[in-house]
Formats: sequence, structure tokens, C-alpha cells
Amino acid sequence: MIESLYTPLAMLIFPGGLFALALGLSLKGLDRRLAARLQGRVGPPLAQPFYDLVKLAKKRTMVPDTACQPVFLGAPLIGAVAMALAAALVPIAGFYTPDPLLGDLLVLLYLLTVPAVVLMIAGSASGSPFGAIGFSREMAMMLAYEGPLVLVVAAVAMRTGLGQGGLVSFSLPEIIAYQQTHGAFLFDPLLWPALAAFLAFYPANLGIIPFDIPEAETEVLEGPLLEYSGPALGLFKIMSALKAVVVLGLGVALFYPIAPDGIAGLAVHLVKLIALMLIGVSVVRVSCGRLRIDQAFRFFLKWPLALAVLSLACVALA
Amino acid sequence: MTSLKQMFSTQTRRMASLSPWIYRINAGSCNGCDVECATTALIPRYDVERLGCQYCGSPRHADIVLITGPLTARVKDSVLRVYDEVPEPKVTVAVGVCPISGGIFRDSYAVLAPLSKYLPVDVNIPGCAPRPQAIIEGIAQAIAIWRERL
Repeated sequence: MIESLYTPLAMLIFPGGLFALALGLSLKGLDRRLAARLQGRVGPPLAQPFYDLVKLAKKRTMVPDTACQPVFLGAPLIGAVAMALAAALVPIAGFYTPDPLLGDLLVLLYLLTVPAVVLMIAGSASGSPFGAIGFSREMAMMLAYEGPLVLVVAAVAMRTGLGQGGLVSFSLPEIIAYQQTHGAFLFDPLLWPALAAFLAFYPANLGIIPFDIPEAETEVLEGPLLEYSGPALGLFKIMSALKAVVVLGLGVALFYPIAPDGIAGLAVHLVKLIALMLIGVSVVRVSCGRLRIDQAFRFFLKWPLALAVLSLACVALA
Repeated sequence: MTSLKQMFSTQTRRMASLSPWIYRINAGSCNGCDVECATTALIPRYDVERLGCQYCGSPRHADIVLITGPLTARVKDSVLRVYDEVPEPKVTVAVGVCPISGGIFRDSYAVLAPLSKYLPVDVNIPGCAPRPQAIIEGIAQAIAIWRERL
């Protein structure tokens, strides 16, 4: 009985679902506050993303005449659910290990592409020309950053697999256990290029400046999100909050999952997420301008891809 | 049970009123008020983000609509259409003297001011152009009206 409840609870309450949502919204609040402080202003309250969600729940959802209604309203739901599931797949070192039946790193990789696909579908289903531009930009970005991500994950998986005497290991708990006995990959020179590629990947995946090209509000008026209002837009906000938790959690699991056991492990995990969010997201987004889509595309196919390949080659040859 | 429900609804209304998103419509303005809105009142210096305000690119995300300009005949239909795209509940704020009376353009054949003939205007912020402090005060009043409508 308890066993059969374990998986749904992991998806709905902890560490996916409600817990990840609260964590993601808090991270967004911290990010907005720090960005405001860096620009010399007071900034919104820390709970601002929660207020925004409550507000959106109270507004009316409008569906444009030109939109395909079932797809238009279904897309954000699929995105939010996929991210809640993905959040249940990310282990918290020393505190939570996902059920291997739920899936491993490969499932997580597939789930991570869902938000981008959902945004593309939403943009094209909305029937708006700005949505269509957002669609094409989102697709270009996805093609650009997915390659490096897969290679980064492959490099880490291969390092673990070779270290264990096998070839590759796509199990996150094994990757974490290996790092806990052999030291974190953060301090492994073979994986430094992969780490650099990952640091370039996650701003693109989270859609923040300098890579917020598909949703650039001053150019394409938030692109795929242009026609959304009310609860449907709220679901997209939920999706992006959960995505922040998943992507940052994946980064912690891949490169620095050293943590004590028990509740202290959870606390250490939270501290790492907050540090990664503030340093890697807030500081980056207030200190950069937005790139053009062709610049971003070329950047990803040049540097992160080359670094990820280099890292993979180093791991394979060493 | 009813008191719990009531408490929930007042709490959610209070929280929702802390997140007013702003959308600007230029109804044939000379751009003076737009400069005051976009680059003076709502930028880091005065920081309306601490009221929870956010500029949004799409009318569908907006709660508070700022309209500048005397509503020229040429843009009237577009303005009314964009205004209809803003989902309820919403609050309309007329920024500058032009939407209120037509200002220095009031005698023109091409100007349809006052704006309140066509749209329900909730807050007027007079001035040519209004001071940033006045715009922020107008937005604060609009938030108070919006809280009642939620």
C-alpha cells in the first residue's frame, strides 16, 4: 500500500509537484529581488511570483478566434505536468532517491525537451504571427542547445560508467554515489569543459537573457505566450518555475552532489540551488543584453558543442 | 465553513491585488507622456516593481491599461480593439491631458478626445506631460480600484 503511494506522492507533493513549485517560485522571487538590487532599486516582495499566480488564477482566459482551442488550452497543461514529473526524477543527494521504475537520466532528458516543444505548439496553435516567430526561434534555440546538453550528460555518464568498470551509467543515483566516494565532478579537470557547456546551456533552457530570444518581449511581444491570459498563462508560469528547479537540480546532481545524509542534505541542496540561481541567473541576466537568434545559434554550435565534445573525448581516452 | 471561505477569498484577493501588470496604449500621443511613462516613472529610479507592477508586451497579460494621446481618428479602431483584448477585470488610466480633453490638439478635426466617450476611464492623470510622481500616484489609485473589482 505504502509502496504504491510512493510514486504518485513523489510527483504530486515531494519532491515534484507542490514542493518543487513552491521552491521554483521562491527561487524566481529571490532572482527578481537580487536583479532589482543590482540595478539599484528596491524590487518586488519575495513572494511576488506567488501573488502573480493567484492573480492569474482570478483572471479570465481568452481564446483567440484563430486559435485551435483544444491544443491552445492543452499545451500549457502538458508542459506543467511533464515538469512536475521531471521534478520527481531529480534526486536530492543524501535525502531523496527517485524510484528507478520512474525513469533515469534519459527519461529526464526527454522530459526536459517538453517545455520547448509545448511552447512551440502553443505559439503555432495561437494563430498569431508573433507566436509563429516565437515558434521558429524556440525551435532554433532547441536545436542549438539540445546537442551540447546530451553530450554533457553523456560525458558525465561515461565518466561514472568507466569509473565503475562498465561503459556508461545513465542512473542519477549511481552518478551521485560515484561522486560521493570519488569526489565531485566539479573538481575533475576532465569534466571542466562539460561544466562550462552546461553553464551555457541552462540560461538558454530557462529562457533568460541573453538567450530569451523566443520570448523577447520587446521584439516579438513574448512570442508564444502573446495570446495567453489568465489561468492558462499561469500554467506556463508554473511550468517555468518547475523547470528552474529541474534544470538547476540536474546541474547539482551532475557536478556537485556532495551533501550530508538526512534533512541536512535537503538544506544543503536548497543552498546550492539558491546559489546557482543567484550567481548563474540573476547576475548573468542583469549584466547582458539579448543576443540575436543567429548569434545564439552560432554560439551554441561553436563553443558549448566543442567543449562538450572535448570533454567526452577526454573522458573516453583517459 | 463560510467564514473560512470568506477568509480564503479576501486573502486571495489581497494577494492578487499585489500583482498589477501594466500595458501602455498610445492613442496618437505626441510621445511626451510615453516618455514620462516608459523612461521616467516606470524605470529603476522610481521602481514601481515594488508595487508588484510589471510591464507586459501583450494586452492579454495586462490588468492596468495606461492610455496616452488624444485618440486620433486614425487610431481609434485599433485602440478600441486592443483595449478589448485586455481580459477582465481591468482598470483604465488616462495619462496626460490629451485623453481627458484633447489638450493642445482639442480643436483639431482629426482628434476624438475625450477618451471617456469611447472607453470607461477610471483614473485621470492630467498634465502635459504629467510628472512621474503623478503617474505613480495614478497607478496606485488604479490598484486600489482594481482591488475592488477582483
